[in-house]
Amino acid sequence: MAEIVAAALTAHAPLITGRPEIGRPEQRDRLYAGFREIGRRLQAARPDLLVMFVNDHLQNFAYSNLPAFCVGLAATYQCPSPGGAKLMRLQPRVVRGNPEWAMGLLEAGLEAGIDFACSYEIESWDELSVPLSFLMPEGDVPIVTVYTNCGAPPLPTPRRCRDVGAFVGDFIRGRATSGRVALVATGGLSHWVGTPETGRINPDWDHRILDHITRGDIEPLTRLTRDEIERDGGNGGQEIRNWIALMGAVPGWKGELLAYEPVDEWITGCATVWVHP
Amino acid sequence: MSTRPVPYALNKLLTDIARQHQMRESLSDQEMAGHALSEGERAALRDGDIGRLYELGANPYLIRRVFRRRFTI
Repeated sequence: MAEIVAAALTAHAPLITGRPEIGRPEQRDRLYAGFREIGRRLQAARPDLLVMFVNDHLQNFAYSNLPAFCVGLAATYQCPSPGGAKLMRLQPRVVRGNPEWAMGLLEAGLEAGIDFACSYEIESWDELSVPLSFLMPEGDVPIVTVYTNCGAPPLPTPRRCRDVGAFVGDFIRGRATSGRVALVATGGLSHWVGTPETGRINPDWDHRILDHITRGDIEPLTRLTRDEIERDGGNGGQEIRNWIALMGAVPGWKGELLAYEPVDEWITGCATVWVHP
Repeated sequence: MSTRPVPYALNKLLTDIARQHQMRESLSDQEMAGHALSEGERAALRDGDIGRLYELGANPYLIRRVFRRRFTI
């Protein structure tokens, strides 16, 4: 039987790697240490697949076609592409996907009434590229992605995100073939991107979300409305949907906060959280 | 629960530029040619007016991506 051997939540933001020099050194170092600790623990868990709950920023899914939930069937992911590499100051690289595994998830979803969209071509922006540069520097474990619309409203409800995550968790645990799967969700916490409030961070809200995560008490988070999240966490805060989906996949698991830093210079409340039984 | 439809032509043009990984201070009339934009949208794009673009319904991620240099932070 396949098993979930590890799970983690992290922020993503292009400036985390793109402009490390503008962050206050002590904040940057604590946050980088959190990312690297997750990397060490992931490696120790020896996963043969990473399932990633992430969101697009209109790089792949535009207003011509906007899936609420999309399974990546890509054989490879540009993580980042040569174009995106410049801003994130990362080396362009290609990370392997696992289309067969992803197709299994897609088909099982459709049969169960989870109507995922799918895509065979995904260009990663910071949602994959930045965290994976710390978590999987060698790029040696294939990834499967579940993209959730967090940035082009209307958005799926947090409750639905939890349910989709729960489905993914059940799918993994129910697979007859053996496998060691790690889950990673990226995004959040509070940040305002491109709005008149760009640069605002709300540490109080961030701590509230982290408190629920560390207690494994996500039910109240599933009741948050889009307007409430927008008011307290900004348009970037909508990305906690990815975290909620992951927590839905591992009922009863709790978060261990490794680092939280509201980094003004990166305009993001940044956290790294290990999630364990 | 009151999402209004976005101005599609405006967001489509910004998406095209963002996908080329290009940044702009402002857009030229040439770049806007052939896009079904309102006069107000053209003026905001020509001026690189990020606040106005937000009011007009441009997706904030696209505003940030394309007009990155217009932001002070």
